[in-house]
Amino acid sequence: MSGRETRASGAVASEVVAPEGVASEVVASGAASSGAAGSGPAAPPTRRLPRRLPRRLRAAAAVALTVALLAAGGLLLAHARHLTAGDAAGNRALTDTAATDRVTVEVSDALHRVFSYGPDTLERTERDAETLLTGPAAADYAELFPRVEQEVGAQELTLTTHTVRAGVTELTADRARLLVFLDQTARRAGHEPTTTAAQLTVEAELRDGRWRITDLTPR
Amino acid sequence: MRPLTSRSARRRPLAAAAGAAAALALGAAAWTGAGWYGAAHDDALAFARARDAVATAAGQGVRDLNTLDHRDVADGYDTWEDSTTGELHTQLTEGREAFTAQVREARTVTTAEVLATAVTELDERAGKAGVMVAVRITVDAPEEDPAVKDSRLLAELTRTESGWKLSALSPAPLGESAPAPAE
Repeated sequence: MSGRETRASGAVASEVVAPEGVASEVVASGAASSGAAGSGPAAPPTRRLPRRLPRRLRAAAAVALTVALLAAGGLLLAHARHLTAGDAAGNRALTDTAATDRVTVEVSDALHRVFSYGPDTLERTERDAETLLTGPAAADYAELFPRVEQEVGAQELTLTTHTVRAGVTELTADRARLLVFLDQTARRAGHEPTTTAAQLTVEAELRDGRWRITDLTPR
Repeated sequence: MRPLTSRSARRRPLAAAAGAAAALALGAAAWTGAGWYGAAHDDALAFARARDAVATAAGQGVRDLNTLDHRDVADGYDTWEDSTTGELHTQLTEGREAFTAQVREARTVTTAEVLATAVTELDERAGKAGVMVAVRITVDAPEEDPAVKDSRLLAELTRTESGWKLSALSPAPLGESAPAPAE
């Protein structure tokens, strides 16, 4: 009888001190069997009272420990969230070098192809723009293109765009924002070529295995 | 004996439940603890935080270095010196007197708005970083319309005891030969 009681409370104790798991269970059952063998049926009355109190205390301790552990767990979870939930963790710019390099190269290439054109390459440029631009960037470009065609024809204009430097400000699995420094060289019949500096914020989206430009903002 | 049996039978489920709850709580604490440890010791996360600190410092530094009011040159110049370290800091300190006289003479008020930043290089061990900055600078001179100019800058930052500071700042030149700022 008392042995079973001891085991019951022993089980609680072993669960409470779970880190020592097996060891505490061995200790608990050891105590239980020695209690049953040593005390016999006559012993319980004298042991009953002091035992009831510790058991209550143990239960209270278990509850207190539960509360304390839950509180500690909650605090750790909150702090871990605080550490990882910020923008820093979600942004792969530079932390994922392969993805950062890839978006930089693809966006630079797209800008070169979409903003480089001449009398002989207008058609190709327009075709490239259809695949490399999407969303607002595509709409803006479509609106701009008739003027480009006119200028190219009238002034025999050839425009070449090079990325001087591109950096990734924000990067997720399929979205990116870049800051791009461009040089644009315009060659017109009968004029010296002129090169101008430009800086753009570029929004891009990874779709069907390629980074496509969704938005362009001159800076 | 009987009262004890029934009493303990009544009490045991409670104790067992309390124990089970404690065990669950311990498991939960261990799990969150492991999660917290992982988050606190994540190198990629630390690198990401450094990157963001660098971007913020570069933006702040560029804004500071393009903000100056001729009525309060001393304070403005103190901020310049505070935002910089190394070579750039030395240059600024040496040029302080001449520049102050120049600004008081021209009576200009210069303000800056940082439009975009992108960290392109970050070497945490060396404490060096390279940042691209797009900035809009407005210069207000007496009896003239404010002049607004958009500039593209390359900043080099160096880690100091009081955080990342600008150690070099220059306009990104035309052409493909732009030197990498962190090298």
